[in-house]
Amino acid sequence: MLNYVLRRGFMALLVALTVSFGTFALFHFATDPAQTIAGEDAPQEMVDDIREQYGFDRPVSTQYFNWLGGVLRGDFGESFFWKQPVVELIQEHAGVTVMLALASLSVTILIALPLGISAALRPNTWVDRFALSTAVSAQAVPNFWLGLMLIIVFAVTFPIFPVSGDSTWRHFVLPALVLGASSVPAVMRLTRTGLLDVLSSDYIRTARAKGFIGYRLILQQALRNALLPIVSVLAVQLGYKLGGSVVTESVFSMNGLGRLAVESIFNSDIPTVQSLILIFVLTFVLLTLAADLINAWLDPRIRMG
Amino acid sequence: MKTRYPDRLGRRLTGLFLACVLPLYACADQETDTLVVAFSKPLTTVDRLYSIQREGLILSRLTDDGLFFVDPKTLEFEPLAAASYEWVTDTQLDITLRDDVIFHDGSRLTAEDVVYTFEWVLDEDSDTSRGPVIQRWLDSVETLAPGRVRFNLKLPYPMALRDMAVSIPLRKKGTYEDETADAPLNGIGPYKVVSFSAGREIVLQRFEDYYEGSPKAGPAIEHMKFRVIPDQGTQQAELLSGGIDLMLDVPPDVADNVSHLPNVERLEGNDIRIGYVTLDAAANSDPDTPFKHLKVRQAINHAINREEITRYLVRGSAEVVDFACHPRQFGCDGNGPRYRFDPVKAKQLLAEAGYPNGFSFDLWAYREKIIAEAIVNDLKAVGLDVQLRYVKLNVFSKVRNDKDMEAFFASYGSGGTADASASTGVHFARNSARNYSGDEALADTVLAAERTIDPGERQALYRQALNRIAEQAYWVPMFSYSQNYLLSPELEFPVPKDGVPRFWQASWRQ
Repeated sequence: MLNYVLRRGFMALLVALTVSFGTFALFHFATDPAQTIAGEDAPQEMVDDIREQYGFDRPVSTQYFNWLGGVLRGDFGESFFWKQPVVELIQEHAGVTVMLALASLSVTILIALPLGISAALRPNTWVDRFALSTAVSAQAVPNFWLGLMLIIVFAVTFPIFPVSGDSTWRHFVLPALVLGASSVPAVMRLTRTGLLDVLSSDYIRTARAKGFIGYRLILQQALRNALLPIVSVLAVQLGYKLGGSVVTESVFSMNGLGRLAVESIFNSDIPTVQSLILIFVLTFVLLTLAADLINAWLDPRIRMG
Repeated sequence: MKTRYPDRLGRRLTGLFLACVLPLYACADQETDTLVVAFSKPLTTVDRLYSIQREGLILSRLTDDGLFFVDPKTLEFEPLAAASYEWVTDTQLDITLRDDVIFHDGSRLTAEDVVYTFEWVLDEDSDTSRGPVIQRWLDSVETLAPGRVRFNLKLPYPMALRDMAVSIPLRKKGTYEDETADAPLNGIGPYKVVSFSAGREIVLQRFEDYYEGSPKAGPAIEHMKFRVIPDQGTQQAELLSGGIDLMLDVPPDVADNVSHLPNVERLEGNDIRIGYVTLDAAANSDPDTPFKHLKVRQAINHAINREEITRYLVRGSAEVVDFACHPRQFGCDGNGPRYRFDPVKAKQLLAEAGYPNGFSFDLWAYREKIIAEAIVNDLKAVGLDVQLRYVKLNVFSKVRNDKDMEAFFASYGSGGTADASASTGVHFARNSARNYSGDEALADTVLAAERTIDPGERQALYRQALNRIAEQAYWVPMFSYSQNYLLSPELEFPVPKDGVPRFWQASWRQ
């Protein structure tokens, strides 16, 4: 098991470093960070001053290894755009993203599990078809469109929720619905398939023979086993939500990591983009690793090789 | 098998949920005397000395005053915190300060504060974003007497008043050494900063001790809030729901659609920004580029239907421009050749230049894709094989600064400055990354204009430069821009002539 963890951890680190260097190189080869920082209408003197001040005139490899050296010492550098330490910046924005990710994961669970269970309990009926249609619709609808539709209905036509912002828990309801909906199909289908498999297994027949029926049968006997693979899928979905809430945060004007990433890219704020990418990659890789480890723990065939 | 489902529980949860969320939200409105404006981009600081953003300029006109300001009616530079000024020589400017100007912390503005501000900006270690603007022309500032300061210039520089008006807000002596200051900004403008949350919002309150003699005195609205809302669709929803009172920089098609909705009003105004196409006359991108031939550049000028693009795509108060500047800018009165839309003549010129069957090239652009596509279509119609390279601004800037473009469509806002030095001067100066002309004589003319104090002489020099640009067809000057604003019908907002809003002029309709 330890070998397996080390092997996966090493792979995760390689992925993070490759993505990080690729991003850094792309920024320098495809854009002029000095001009972007100075602004579209900046005089040439200002652009030249920034190029020298930030060291953009040095070789790209030197700049990258300077940055990486800082990261290894725990110094993520200072944001070119916000003029404050990147660590502080990420701390300020992380709360919104984590809260949104957890809220949307709750939405996913609250919608996908009941739908999946209902579909599994009444396969090939209208309930099953309704659940599948809902899943397909949620998969087909783009986040930005769903977000704007929810805003029009629940914030403009019926002013129940605020249109945008992140200062109260009410601000999180609509974005959590949008972000949560995108994960419903995967979780719902897995719940349905898993539960159908479990319900046709021998031990359920035995349980029924022992008198387990209705809720007791579903919740205590069948769902417990069917949920095990779903937990690992939810871990991966949480990774997506932590790193992939860019559109939702922009539409709802939430000051989270996703929006920080977009603004940093547009402003060639290289230290912030680099740090965010490292964090997103590591978060995703760690959550995927956690999911793999859960599976390996459950299934000895995986960890054996 | 029969299974029971918790349907009652679902209904109860729904009821509880709605009961929790039904309370309504505080809106921007006249009752609370709070004007709420949406910014599309986040502001990183409320200190103009450290900001390069247009939003920073808009905010600074509320929280700060400089020695001079841009008169909203004439767009000329007039004294503000300065009571009077006198050019002693071409390189010495004496300024007498007003004696009633008060900082937001209650202290009075002194000559020492003015000297401190400019010395701070001149100091390269202070790393202000404004430093490079004044370091090339300002040598030193000294106190002559209480309330009097002298500016010693390195060279004659007629735009000194512009830089003082637009770039240098005044700071209290010791501001940047005082680490105990708790207010986000200690300015002298008609509004003080109450709170600043980077990337979220900025809250201002009217400064009741603002000096009465100021042309900006007596703002009508007590509170202002600037909310950062990046998405245009979300801004529209906020406007419709009463969450904001004003949207800036609205694209014309969005303004068309939204202004038909109830409780939304549309305003349209000018902007100093102009659009243009630059042609690589200096053959920077390729020594064999056809653009090094004058007739090819003239053909491109004749091939683009600027009138129709302006009328149908830019719209509003936009106008066709014939020279490399905005017609409202001082010095923008060239009388050189004007190129009318004439595709037949364009084809004839291409043939005369040795390209009867046209040639291939990339047209780069980063904004207004629909206009770039219209330009491409016009050029294709005269037999040119044009590929549109539409990219993000940071990519565009890199390729343009590397001088790797044969032709590009771009725009320039001149920082809201109504003077040709801010457009012609910037684009044809010798060291400018935007200069694709390679014309040394033209660069000399532009430099001479930048260093000439006498308005008549400056005007003549700019006319000479603009005529040269037109004769050589280095540019295709396209159009001036139009600004669209969407606002609540409760709000009275004078449309700015230069595209930079001055919210101290805003008021509520009675």
